[in-house]
Amino acid sequence: MTNSLLTKQSEDFVFHTFDDTLKPQIEDLLSLGKSAGADIVEIFLEKSDNISLLAEQDDISNVSPSLGIGAGIRVFLGKKDGFVSTNDLSKAGLLFALNQALGMLGLTIGSKNNKKFEGLSDLTDYGSSKNDWLNNSPDLNESTIKLIEATGALAGKNKNLQVRRASYSRNWQEVLVAATDGVFARDIRLHQTVGLNVIAQKDQNRSTSARRYGSSGNPDDLRNWDIDKSALELNESAQKMLYAEYVEAGQMPVVLANKFGGVIFHEACGHLLETTQLERGTSPFHNSINKKIAHSAVSAVDEGLSNYAFGSLSMDDEGMEPQNTLLIEDGILKKFLSDRAGSLRTGQPRTGSGRRQNFSFAAASRMRNTYIKQGSYSPEKLIESIDDGLYCKTMGGGSVGPTGQFNFSVEEGYLIKNGSLDKPVKGATLIGEAKEILPRISMCANDLDLAAGFCGSVSGSVNVTVGQPHIKVDSITVGGR
Amino acid sequence: MNESITNQKLSELDPFLLNNLLEKFSKELEIFKWDIGASSSRDISVQVQQGNAKQLKGSQRNSMTLRVWNKDNKVGITSTSDLTSDGIKKAMKVAIQACLFANKKESPEFSSQAKYPLKELNSNIYSTHSIDELLSILKNAEKKLIDRHHSIDSVPYNGLSESYMERIYINSEGANRHMKLSQSSIYLYAKAEEKNKKPRSAGGIRINSNLEDLDIESCINETSDKLISHLNYKPIETNKYLVCFTPEAFLQLISAFSSMFNARSIIDGVSLMNEDSIGNQVSVPNLNISDEGLHPANVGAFSFDGEGTPTQDIKLVTNGILTNLLHSEATARKFGAKPTGHAGLGAKVSVSPDWLVVSKSDSDIDKDESLSIKNTVKEYILIDELSAIHSGVKASQGSFSLPFDGWIVNNKKKTSIDAATLAGDILNVLKSIVRIENEQIITHQGISPYVWVENISITGEA
Repeated sequence: MTNSLLTKQSEDFVFHTFDDTLKPQIEDLLSLGKSAGADIVEIFLEKSDNISLLAEQDDISNVSPSLGIGAGIRVFLGKKDGFVSTNDLSKAGLLFALNQALGMLGLTIGSKNNKKFEGLSDLTDYGSSKNDWLNNSPDLNESTIKLIEATGALAGKNKNLQVRRASYSRNWQEVLVAATDGVFARDIRLHQTVGLNVIAQKDQNRSTSARRYGSSGNPDDLRNWDIDKSALELNESAQKMLYAEYVEAGQMPVVLANKFGGVIFHEACGHLLETTQLERGTSPFHNSINKKIAHSAVSAVDEGLSNYAFGSLSMDDEGMEPQNTLLIEDGILKKFLSDRAGSLRTGQPRTGSGRRQNFSFAAASRMRNTYIKQGSYSPEKLIESIDDGLYCKTMGGGSVGPTGQFNFSVEEGYLIKNGSLDKPVKGATLIGEAKEILPRISMCANDLDLAAGFCGSVSGSVNVTVGQPHIKVDSITVGGR
Repeated sequence: MNESITNQKLSELDPFLLNNLLEKFSKELEIFKWDIGASSSRDISVQVQQGNAKQLKGSQRNSMTLRVWNKDNKVGITSTSDLTSDGIKKAMKVAIQACLFANKKESPEFSSQAKYPLKELNSNIYSTHSIDELLSILKNAEKKLIDRHHSIDSVPYNGLSESYMERIYINSEGANRHMKLSQSSIYLYAKAEEKNKKPRSAGGIRINSNLEDLDIESCINETSDKLISHLNYKPIETNKYLVCFTPEAFLQLISAFSSMFNARSIIDGVSLMNEDSIGNQVSVPNLNISDEGLHPANVGAFSFDGEGTPTQDIKLVTNGILTNLLHSEATARKFGAKPTGHAGLGAKVSVSPDWLVVSKSDSDIDKDESLSIKNTVKEYILIDELSAIHSGVKASQGSFSLPFDGWIVNNKKKTSIDAATLAGDILNVLKSIVRIENEQIITHQGISPYVWVENISITGEA
């Protein structure tokens, strides 16, 4: 057993208060990095205070608070970078991490002193108006009452429900970013998400249905949640799917509903427009700027600005303000999403899209609120245009392979027969390749709406919004039985 | 004074100091029953791109989950990554607060086995290598892989890492577990493209306790062989097929439905099984499934679980009959069973398998003994890897619809399948097994032979 080396607070500065009093300490660290010959040194400090609750049937079954601290130090030399994360926010701990990151690139503190560091800018404090967010969020008492109310509302609406679950997560995060290009910024983030899921059972038939809602920067979000509306919608879905038959596989036209239907664009196209993919040479769109990659009905954006949207942020995890990035305009590719490393490696300009789950991940280009813009058709017109196809009312999860192949499960689906919705079907999976499917999105309705979700990729799981109006895909492979 | 319970240079936990701090704070805060699970890790990893270093990563991570029981025997927990004395004290205060909202109907207790002797595992801590050494090894692997075939243009996803992990379990009744291990791993995911054809990709992964024993050559061979075999591809017709699952693919499928063997899932009503399912025939009679966390091939094995219960080998399905479930302390109490060493740590304790082992029972013969991965000449689909398991599996309903990588095999000739999904019901699959081959193959996620299943629905694009 190793004897612990005790760290005394009085002897070692601890980076626990994120404000401009840290400036001299951080500048010291950054200067040391520059003195080693690094092109850029970036320090990301994080504190988190999260709670996660679960109600099952009529009881609270899990209450899990978690507290976190950590730092990520990233050093760039040319197009290479070294990244080290640590939970140790003492000066000695950060110096150890910096040394390790420099050492990865063959750099040693003090070995060169020819790189100029002009110091940090004044602190840009995006969090100054958010300091009371944590205290203004629902406490454990209020949030547990709300969850029990939600499972109770589910019970009142469907006697076939065998399992009723409601979950709530509140993630509070305070971050400070400092880099040798002068960036010095602080922010506070508050994300809240509630999930409802049920299992309905009648005789041998079983169905599952789930919904998730989420917001950023809105302490009152849980308080304002319309529980009855959510419970009603979920119960209707579970009940309809209880007797659904398996869909017959084949190629067919489909209409994807708005809100979470946008996951198809997120997975099938959005990821391929991140510089992370360009760097690896796996995006089929790498040479397609100003070229037509989608049907002219398709325009799409990624932005971090919409009020309270789950993917919105005041600054990205590299201290840059987010943009409203027009990705596709009338089918023409206009821009990629880029972070600092992506910009260094691909030449694409940064878009405020450098994001990470927490300090233990290096930032990477990631989507924020991503959606297809609305068109002029009513949703009914899309369905009326199909003789024999599938309506995907609720999508499940999906994924995209390294070369653009994607798949999505359909949680709630209905056959379309002669321009009208027909019986519910289950077990459908949509399969395709982005390059082939984008030109087949031929109609967009006028009912754009957004939905919250989590996206997992190289820099961990981040909060995002997906969205779209109802859209029609002329032909896609539907997996079934 | 703010003490850190980690050794700063080595990032190792000090269970003695941790125990002293917890005893001190619990007295101050009038908590007489508590336990903690703490972990620490440090790792270093490299990625390369076309012969150059791309991203180099290191981390030193510590975390702790603390449970306390209040005077009403209600349990509260808190996790923290701030392992300073201030951080630990704050976590204890938050956990005490959380007690007020605990589930009265199901309160966890200490595991009755938290002080049982542990099986000795080979947990040598191997010395680590320099970044330059790791980079050199990975650059060499990337080059070898690209040189294998003119169509292989890149290895867009790759990584070589070395890590050190330790885990502690301590409770207020004197249980004190501590274990360390080291691990090394490599993954290579390569891409190939031929003119006027779609890009194709394939990958491999190897894990071992140290870099010297990491079989990088076989990882290169597996990746290149698979990728080259996928260059010649074609769509297949939607139909029902005879399917052979590779050991990796069959383990993926069984793991996706492991809630069948999970007592926690049964209690929660999200399993295909129920409290009366023990003793039921769930598959063909010649299938055995067990969970063997202590198997020597499981290089990431820990000798105890989140509650301090010793890791154990458990027979789950014997001769096709469900014989046991995986338990935590709380689920075992509810079922009148014993904890099996598969618990996490929480107010509501999760249960999960460690290392699934599939084997052939000799209780019955295969429906079609003639089938063999080496000799079968009739047409079948060889499923190598399943994708999108998180979205394509409905574990509580038993249904799945999953994209896969694989080949259509005819007269021993393999042709890659362009894009397809297989769909079905797990209980039907387990009852439609027509052949379980004799040879068990070790994979990075468990052990299984090749398993043949008839009448599986596959959707293709032909």
